[in-house]
Amino acid sequence: MSDDRKRTIEKRPWSITRRAVLASGSAVGALAAFGLKTPAMAQETTPAAPAAFLPRVLVSFAVNGVTQDIDLDPRTSLLDALRETIGLTGTKKGCDHGQCGACTVHVDGRRVASCLTLAAQVADREITTIEGLGDDEALHPMQQAFIDHDALQCGYCTPGQIMAAVACVHEGHAGSEAEIREYMSGNICRCGAYPGIVAAIRNAAQVMEG
Amino acid sequence: MPTGPYAEIPRVDAYEKVRGRAIYGTDNNPSGVAYGAFVTATIGRGRITAMDLSEAQSIDGVRLIVNHEHTSDLQPARFIMQHGFAFQSYSPVLTPNVAYRGQPVALVVADTLESAIEAASRIRVSYEEHPFAATLDSERAEPVPQAEAATAWPIDDIVVGDAETVYADAAVKVDATYTMPTQHQNPMELIGTVAAWDGDHLTVYEGTQNAGACKFGLAEQLGIPPENVTVISPYTGGGFGQKNTMQSQQVLTAFAARELGRPVKVVVPRRQTFHDSSFRPATRQRVRLAADSAGRFTAALYDVDAQTSMHDFFQSEHADTAARHYGYGAFRSFTRLVRTDTPTPGYMRAPFEHATAFAIESAVDELAYEHGMDPVQIRLLNDTDTDIVDGLPHSSRHVSECLRRGAELFGWDRRTPEPRSMVAQNGDLIGMGVAIGLYAGSGGPNRASVRATRDGIIEISLGVHEMGQGIRTAIANVVARHLNVAPESVTAILGDTRGVPQMLTAGSWGSASSIPAAEAVCEALREALDALGTNAPEGASPAEILALADHDELSVEAATFAPGQNRDALGEIDTGHVAPSGPVYPDFITYSYAAHFVEVRVEQTTRRIRVPRVVSVFDCGRVLSPRTARSQAIGGVVWGVGGALREAGEVDPRYGGVLNADMAEYLVPVNADIGSIEVGFIDEPDPMVNRSGVKGLGEVVLVGVAPAITNAIYHATGVRARHLPVRIEDLV
Repeated sequence: MSDDRKRTIEKRPWSITRRAVLASGSAVGALAAFGLKTPAMAQETTPAAPAAFLPRVLVSFAVNGVTQDIDLDPRTSLLDALRETIGLTGTKKGCDHGQCGACTVHVDGRRVASCLTLAAQVADREITTIEGLGDDEALHPMQQAFIDHDALQCGYCTPGQIMAAVACVHEGHAGSEAEIREYMSGNICRCGAYPGIVAAIRNAAQVMEG
Repeated sequence: MPTGPYAEIPRVDAYEKVRGRAIYGTDNNPSGVAYGAFVTATIGRGRITAMDLSEAQSIDGVRLIVNHEHTSDLQPARFIMQHGFAFQSYSPVLTPNVAYRGQPVALVVADTLESAIEAASRIRVSYEEHPFAATLDSERAEPVPQAEAATAWPIDDIVVGDAETVYADAAVKVDATYTMPTQHQNPMELIGTVAAWDGDHLTVYEGTQNAGACKFGLAEQLGIPPENVTVISPYTGGGFGQKNTMQSQQVLTAFAARELGRPVKVVVPRRQTFHDSSFRPATRQRVRLAADSAGRFTAALYDVDAQTSMHDFFQSEHADTAARHYGYGAFRSFTRLVRTDTPTPGYMRAPFEHATAFAIESAVDELAYEHGMDPVQIRLLNDTDTDIVDGLPHSSRHVSECLRRGAELFGWDRRTPEPRSMVAQNGDLIGMGVAIGLYAGSGGPNRASVRATRDGIIEISLGVHEMGQGIRTAIANVVARHLNVAPESVTAILGDTRGVPQMLTAGSWGSASSIPAAEAVCEALREALDALGTNAPEGASPAEILALADHDELSVEAATFAPGQNRDALGEIDTGHVAPSGPVYPDFITYSYAAHFVEVRVEQTTRRIRVPRVVSVFDCGRVLSPRTARSQAIGGVVWGVGGALREAGEVDPRYGGVLNADMAEYLVPVNADIGSIEVGFIDEPDPMVNRSGVKGLGEVVLVGVAPAITNAIYHATGVRARHLPVRIEDLV
């Protein structure tokens, strides 16, 4: 299983990290190198100034099929952009350190911790959040399975659990209860709904895989 | 009216939750909202001598920096256990004082969260440092006998018979000391506040277990009338006791919003929640337990040291529960509160009972082995019908039934008693352990109102909060039965001060307080509908009766109390206070019960401990919502696994604070830690405690899991763990 994890990391299609941007001294330089649109005024800043004026960046990405063109502080996490700028508050902040999984969303179909992902990193990518997973007509099979197996209590970690669970099935990691437990262990549920979550994923996997 | 077991219905708010539509406190984004970030103290105790704000003020977008120089008009918080509203009496940022490492010393508010965080990091604070005590064992820690502690509701030591003499003369006895570290609630929803003013009216969105205390406490601290404050908390993303009162950031957020004339949102970072909110106090418990030749407990001596803060006495109720575990011939407790330079500890789920059960149930297991008796049999033998402390009968006590049913479900008869006698095919040592748990059956006053419309709307307002325990589902189930409507047609207004007064939801009294009120208001509605004189057929719904009477809607109110309470108790909840009663009522005593059976597997070479299987049976009175009750019970067992094998706040006594203050270092159970958990319920309504027959469930589910695990570890390995959490190194 650890081998699988390693491969997953190597296959990640981008390499810039939040840390790299924050540590670069000039956020503009890092973002420019990454091919992002930066406003013209950014070139006029002085990177060496201690309390330097921070530029804004224009970033465009799709969230649940809707293109979002947003102007933001380059340090903004994808999580904060979703919640505070775009207004999609289904994605939750539980730790802001990538340790709890409450903020899990899909970027081009892959599960990521949106708190550890800069919004500027996802330019031109497709984001799916819990709000985009099912609609008023029909729930996603995973959402229905979470209801059927009461795989939640307070509900705060639930959006992240469900996004991780859908990805877990797509990754092919829902083959057994033990495998599900292992691959869902990045998502903490403090209410302790784990047995229900495992049962829900077993059930939804059958529906999803037809 | 049917009175049998309740039907299983789906969790009524699950749909909103799986779609990400349930709105939690800091999901609210009022127009023009600004964001706050705290600067926190980097010393263990002392005083701020200077604060250089110049760099922070130059950060683009910074609008306000609040420190002790601006807050002189704010009143300090008052501790809930001194008839106040807050988790402690100490209010950071209101003075230049630093009472503990990590407390806020300033709040920066900016247009964006990013600017606020950066500016907070650029504030330079100079301190005068004072010596401090960070832990129970610190040299400067101050033990105070609890019976001498000046408190609003003093708690005396318990003395029944001459336990000292009986113990001294006993033939079979154990004497052991059990220790537990600090633990932190860590609900997944971070503590946080959104405060918005409209003229002189403040609206606060907050995940809380106590909207009433927030309303009245904020009014008091801000110096405004309580009617000018609205607190809205329809969903709390887990509380576990951390959110049971006012938090430090609330008044500061409201103050900043008033100063700025725009809404302010403060989400307290996880690291800061470890440093500036309540936690389970560290404890040291000595148990001396004696038995006669038949295995009957003749005496128990119970000495507790429990941590508190320098500014408040967080009272220990460990002994109250310990005295009710069994029918001891004699009992004597002695409790000391040990003052440390920390936030005031508080009510983390099963705040005392989790620790008490670890000590008492471990000692019982030790005695059973000393005596050569089966651990289930010795517990059955020492069950009691009468409370040894007050001499009152138990209103209901089905703990023996929990033990018998659990033993059967678990397959206890397959256990061979000798330690290290059971080995799995792969070589793992198998251990099987048992323990019981109990939790006070409290209740309180509650107001209720209900509005029924001709269109079929049933809108009920109750003084209780939904924090995952499933109270909305229980209310829907109860109202549906009493009004003959579908559960889906019931809307409950909870955690919202625009409805009836909101009482603290904690202490496992949420259902026992609010469900009798729900039943009473349904009954009042039925009577009001009957008074319309429609001659509606038996079983007609309110909507049908209203249609027959050509009425658009009807609203009624009701109020209920715990046994021994009267309307005076309503005055308490009407002013944001807490007014629980129990477990000792005028004519009886009420507890909820658990019996836990645990199988552990210990890998022989690495000594890794796994918990593949738990069977738990509960006596919580009537089960109101079978599905959510089962989930709550499973969750309690998961908490027990965390409490026994994972969770510990790590404190370096030289510096104070919490070293492992995040979700990667403070270990809580993850999915891979949890195996099969089977739970069952006696589901017998308590005949005395309230009209609904409800005791309580949310905390007893955790009580006793930890000693069942450590007793199983002893059975597997022969190693007796007297300190939690048990880790690999303890078994090497």
